[in-house]
Amino acid sequence: MRKKTIIIRALLFGGAALILLFFPYIAQNRYQVHIINMAGIYIILSLGLNLAMGYAGQFNLAMGALWGVGAYTAGLLNTRLGLPFWINLPAAMIVAGLIGAIVGLPSLKVRSHYLAIVTIGLGEVINIILINEEKLTGGALGVSRIKMPNFFGFPINTDERFYYIILVVVILGFLVTRQILKHHIGRSFRAIRDDYQAAKAMGVNTAYYQILAFIISAAYAGAAGALFAHLNTYISPDIFEFKSTLFVMTMTMVGGMGSLAGSVVGGLTLPILQEYLRVIKDWQLVVYGISIMIVVLFVPGGVIELTRRMRNSRKIHWPWSPKPEEEKLEETNVSEN
Amino acid sequence: MNTTSIFIQTLIGGIGIGSLYALIALGYSMVYRSMGLVNFAHGSIYMVGTYLGIIWYTGLVLGLHVSYPVAFIIGVLLNGLLGVLLERIFRPLAKLDLMFMLLGTIGLGFVLDNLAVIIFGAEGFAVRSPLPNAPINIAGILVLPQMLLLICVSALLMVGLQVFLSTTKTGKAMRASAMDHDIASAMGIPVNRMNALTLAIGSGLAAAAGILAAPIVYVNPAMGAAVGLKGFAAAILGGLGSIPGAIAGGLVFGVVEAISAGFISSSYTKGIAFFVVVIVLMLKPSGIVGETVIEKV
Repeated sequence: MRKKTIIIRALLFGGAALILLFFPYIAQNRYQVHIINMAGIYIILSLGLNLAMGYAGQFNLAMGALWGVGAYTAGLLNTRLGLPFWINLPAAMIVAGLIGAIVGLPSLKVRSHYLAIVTIGLGEVINIILINEEKLTGGALGVSRIKMPNFFGFPINTDERFYYIILVVVILGFLVTRQILKHHIGRSFRAIRDDYQAAKAMGVNTAYYQILAFIISAAYAGAAGALFAHLNTYISPDIFEFKSTLFVMTMTMVGGMGSLAGSVVGGLTLPILQEYLRVIKDWQLVVYGISIMIVVLFVPGGVIELTRRMRNSRKIHWPWSPKPEEEKLEETNVSEN
Repeated sequence: MNTTSIFIQTLIGGIGIGSLYALIALGYSMVYRSMGLVNFAHGSIYMVGTYLGIIWYTGLVLGLHVSYPVAFIIGVLLNGLLGVLLERIFRPLAKLDLMFMLLGTIGLGFVLDNLAVIIFGAEGFAVRSPLPNAPINIAGILVLPQMLLLICVSALLMVGLQVFLSTTKTGKAMRASAMDHDIASAMGIPVNRMNALTLAIGSGLAAAAGILAAPIVYVNPAMGAAVGLKGFAAAILGGLGSIPGAIAGGLVFGVVEAISAGFISSSYTKGIAFFVVVIVLMLKPSGIVGETVIEKV
């Protein structure tokens, strides 16, 4: 019996790995690859937001603006100084991380909805700076002609080739996040989320970990920004408005807040769903809004909770759902004191 | 034109737009106080309210051209009714965590915004003011008549609300049910009906704000997003849940916006206003008139 599950598991993972590896050859056209590339970027954003909101309980609603900071850092370093993608990616992560630390500072003083409006406000400030500092950022016109990367002389100039960079970054991002959560940092994050006062009383340096949560999530946003800038070769401030934060938050919650697999599921489904909903034109966002409300009202834990519920009620063990001992680590209970 | 009169003129403009924010902030604060719900669909409710009133005035429905005050009353009442209906959707949402509330109400906002696009079209229209368009001159200070109307009617509505809540039996019942749901229902107050009434008043005030400001701003289905966010910032600035706080927060936000537009930089207006909110919350985390809550383990 146990052998059977192992075989099923191996087959499933092997199949998934094959599809992931050869996706650009399976896809029917370049546009499909582009959508999956964007989904990969959204997964990275969602992982960052999940870490800050789902695990550390910190409202980082400046995520879209921080994404913009990363994209502009990479875009400007490339167009002004001619630096390649490989330098811009870490640079964007560092710059976004630093700005993220500033955005996170108010979390030491205000909580819950007050923190929400403060981070929304700081995100707006960042966006307004991007629009108005025309000499530096090109204003509302944005930055164009960003060069696509080059891998030891091999030009990565199509969506199909760029796909592999995104795949590697997403996998790395996922593994790093999982490692962070297993580490004592992750335990401190959850302690702060579940009970801030108690964590403090137990000797957790809450201020340090709160800021750290913001820095890490901002660094993820920075990486997503650098990828976005080099993939699309054109960026403008309107992409990074508050609505982008909402989109990332929606996918994180549809997937499952406080679950890494949820970020992957949400980050993949929403951009694809959006493409399919284009058929119904004007009704697209109405359907989108109604589905968000249904998820929130009936399955607040997202898709991941749905699989968990099905397993509990029918005693089915889905190969991808966590083992009982892992489950404790990935509780969906996201309480804000 | 000397600097003082320009300053006073800017100040009046700020108070005008501030009254609009204050009426929106009241909706956030009252609903938060009575249901514990942060309603991010309030900006969309404001937009719907504006349409529900203005369509009668501009003759979009059956070519009817009713007078402005009548259209105003129809809009406020219809939007109040919408608030009562929305109470059913908000009731389960109010029991969830802030994050879920946020997303659920934003989802509702999406639905309202895009239904408005489908019904009224994405492009907006300018509304003719019922009062003369020429600014009137009071001791060298030029003011738009519509702006004065906005300030005066908003002030009347705010005073009326305060009187209603503190003197009438229904108002007292509303305050009681906001204070403690269980005890209020033990005393025989229908808590859910009181919540519905609160939502009706909040939505009605939003419609009033929208219809009064319609001749000054441009009416379109996307108008709710920015005003909704600013109204929420104003409610937080004053102290979420407090009625005088919402009014103070709205006026402060409007005046800061107007002064920074007039004297500092017009392109950084929104940024400066939000930055002021951040600074105020850093200095006084519970808002201008909010009570400090001590967290317990």
